[in-house]
Amino acid sequence: MKATTRGLIATALMAMLAAGCSGDKKMVKYGEVYRDHPATLYIAPLDDRSERRAVRTMEDSAYNASLDVATRQLYLTASSPLVRKGYYVPGPLTSAQMASTETRTLKQLRNDNITDYYDDLGMEAVLFIEVMEWNNTHNSWTVEVDYKLRSARHGGELMHTRVRATKMLGTDFKGNPKPLADDEAFAKKYGCDLHTAQRCRLVEILNQFVLGDLPSGQRARGNNVERYVSSHPEYFALHITPDGSVMVLKNEEDL
Amino acid sequence: MLAAACSGQYKGMPREEVLDYQTRATYGSLHAMATAYAEAINAAVKEDTLHPGMYADYGVALAMMGHKGTACRMFNAEMRAFPESRGMVMRVKAHLLPDMMNDTVANLYDTANIQQLALWAYDSVKAMQQLPRIAAVIDSTDTAWLRMQTPIDSVDIPIRLTANQKRELLQQQQAEVEMRKQAIADSIAAAKQAKIDARKEAKVQREKDKKAKEKERKAKAKQKKKEQTLKEKAKKEQAAAKAKAKKEQAAERERQKKQKKEVGK
Repeated sequence: MKATTRGLIATALMAMLAAGCSGDKKMVKYGEVYRDHPATLYIAPLDDRSERRAVRTMEDSAYNASLDVATRQLYLTASSPLVRKGYYVPGPLTSAQMASTETRTLKQLRNDNITDYYDDLGMEAVLFIEVMEWNNTHNSWTVEVDYKLRSARHGGELMHTRVRATKMLGTDFKGNPKPLADDEAFAKKYGCDLHTAQRCRLVEILNQFVLGDLPSGQRARGNNVERYVSSHPEYFALHITPDGSVMVLKNEEDL
Repeated sequence: MLAAACSGQYKGMPREEVLDYQTRATYGSLHAMATAYAEAINAAVKEDTLHPGMYADYGVALAMMGHKGTACRMFNAEMRAFPESRGMVMRVKAHLLPDMMNDTVANLYDTANIQQLALWAYDSVKAMQQLPRIAAVIDSTDTAWLRMQTPIDSVDIPIRLTANQKRELLQQQQAEVEMRKQAIADSIAAAKQAKIDARKEAKVQREKDKKAKEKERKAKAKQKKKEQTLKEKAKKEQAAAKAKAKKEQAAERERQKKQKKEVGK
């Protein structure tokens, strides 16, 4: 009887282990984050490497202004998913004050030693966000963003993901894009045009999708439960379909 | 508090106002942002779901507006609510309020009235602009005496003012706050009364409409009945005329038959 019970327990344990180890898992992808367990996280000023149009017409300056607003929105919306995950993230004004006292360039911060952030400021990790490219057609908006999380304790890389996100809208019989109700509400609320609203909503969803996937902070519930949940790969494309749902292309074949 | 923030239900920062300030950095947008932060903190404190970094951000906004004493207390409140923020807050404090580094008093009672405080601070700036004699001596950042006297909320009032001037200024500020409160209460009461009146009017109008409709319906029914009666009468007359014609025809035929018989004879 005892032997049978032991056998059953062993089989159950083996099954659980097998279920936990198969496929692309958070433990594999965010192993460094689980090992480092950062509780406080500073978002470094955004590195905008995307190109702007040479201003010849009013349209060009409006386009550039739209990208500027969307880039600011990308920075502002980065903290919310992290706070929801249980990290301490300084607000945008405080971060701007901290950045104003920084003497190093963004490139140096990205690659050099940043242990002073831990020693002096108590920030255990620093998130670097780099905007690589903006693009759009008449009914789709695309942004490519690079997210890099570095430990301020030892300077090691905790997470590095590059995402190409596209938002597509359906068109009416004239070929004009049909905006979603959320986008229109956003444009009305912020007093901006629909193109800017599309870009702002795109980066908001992108931040939510990428940073909301990080493991929960030390103090949050479920820190150990979610270890074996599937994670995003190093590079992936994200499509927001005309009905507002998010579709992720992870494999090389899909991309 | 962080646990509350982690549970998913927390009051976020006022993104709209921050974005507006970052796009158009004016005193108006700065004040709007500070007020929005105050409102957000006020709501979050009541529900115990405070977003990390909110006190510090509000402190930065207040410091930029020149309210150093209040800003200092906000920074201290941030350190008290989120101890892990100490290093970062001290760095920002050293940058913005270098002469208040030793001030670590965080009067958390302020947080319940923070919106009021922001409005008061803004009003006091305006009031001081109207009083050039007093504004000329605003140079001190030492507000320890004031905090002792008025622990609820205070603005940076210079220590070089005489006791009477201080008292007058405080009384003036309190009177302004009372006036604002009264004005808000009046406007709310007026709005409520207007709403009630509008409802009453609408009710009366509805009843009037209902009566008119009922009258119209009755008139229509009467007309219909009349028409029906007339129709029936016409039908009866028609039927009677028909019967009469038939009778006459039968009588005519009978007479013709008789005439034929007589001719035959």
